[in-house]
Amino acid sequence: MIKLVAAVSIGLILTGCASTRVEERREASTGMSDQEAIVLLGRASYSDRETETSFTDCVASALAKGERPLRLVTQKEFKDQLYPWFEPRTAPTSSKDLAKLFARPGVQQRIIETEVRYLAWISGDTITTDSGGSFSCTLSSFGGGCFGVSYWEEDASYEASIWDVENMTTSGQISADANGTSYLAGVILPIPIIARPGNAACKALANQLREFLQGSPITENEI
Amino acid sequence: MTRYRSFILIVVCVLAMGGCTTSVTVEGTIPTPLVAKIPVNVGIHYSDDFKQFRHEENIRQEGNWKVDMGAQNLLFFRNLMTAVFVDVTELNEPPLTGESLAGLDGVLVPEIVKYGFLTPNVSGLKFYSASIHYRMSLYNNQNEKLGEWTIVGYGKSERTLFGTTESLGEATVLAIRDGGARIAIEMTSQPVVQSWLEDVNEE
Repeated sequence: MIKLVAAVSIGLILTGCASTRVEERREASTGMSDQEAIVLLGRASYSDRETETSFTDCVASALAKGERPLRLVTQKEFKDQLYPWFEPRTAPTSSKDLAKLFARPGVQQRIIETEVRYLAWISGDTITTDSGGSFSCTLSSFGGGCFGVSYWEEDASYEASIWDVENMTTSGQISADANGTSYLAGVILPIPIIARPGNAACKALANQLREFLQGSPITENEI
Repeated sequence: MTRYRSFILIVVCVLAMGGCTTSVTVEGTIPTPLVAKIPVNVGIHYSDDFKQFRHEENIRQEGNWKVDMGAQNLLFFRNLMTAVFVDVTELNEPPLTGESLAGLDGVLVPEIVKYGFLTPNVSGLKFYSASIHYRMSLYNNQNEKLGEWTIVGYGKSERTLFGTTESLGEATVLAIRDGGARIAIEMTSQPVVQSWLEDVNEE
């Protein structure tokens, strides 16, 4: 028991802080029946940035839990079912493009079969905005240790654009921004104090997305 | 377990200070394209180079890389062509004679012209990226070459701490998918294909 308390305490001490801001813009009313599903799609471009798969997986995992879990179709399954229309260079870029895509033979029927009501396009990423300090570790025949302090600041900025597949309209946008500074201190042993802005943005976005679609936010225990 | 093996591989590579080979076997799902079939009976010839395509490259400070993508690429193309055309006959050996061309409207020969990849150490980015240049050659049923066109497929996958081979494999799978998507979508907009289809419909 003492070990558990100590481990939790150390965990709390070594977790850095991240501040989060969430904004929502609604363009249409929403609602989902138990049979209807949502698919989260990460925007991938061929520039030097793209939405990390780990982020969309985190949001999907949060939405699939809880008292009223959302029914999710995985990104991989959806893309395979609709191949080649949701690949990085062929995917529709607006809900208007979606209407054009639906005119192609078999596409609308296939989406109906998947029972997907909403598409949520997730874009954004986590970048390091600042870093500094000095940290080094040495090892010799007399022993070793780490000394110094280094830090890095990360900014996680993501947006979900939600499309209503049934009405072929844009339902709204939700954005989540989080930033935090992590530290690595060396006092013989290396002590990391890690802020996780990506995780904070994931929680915030999933929470707001659920509320947007069905009006019930995720509790802390569900993430 | 796979990650554990990758970790051991990286440790061994570091200890050996080079001279290590990273082998990447490309595996992934084979989706069937959701496109309208072109109403022709086409022969497809996959050369041995295409069937067993393997890329080997030495990158300074990263050692040798071997990317074995032939099997995945072949499975993908067999499925792709079956979805794009109404009737597909696989032709084994050139030269294509009158007997092997009987009943066919034409023959397609896909080739891999070039494969390339970038590691995060080389590109300075967070992911592995891969590109495949495909050349599609079209022949009529008299074995006369009508023309050819090139498609480039791109793919990239996030770097993971101990998943080097998985990340490059995933990037290569995405490049095959991207190339396949363009072939499926753009087939009927290629001038040489349009001209061929007009000739076939007139016969």
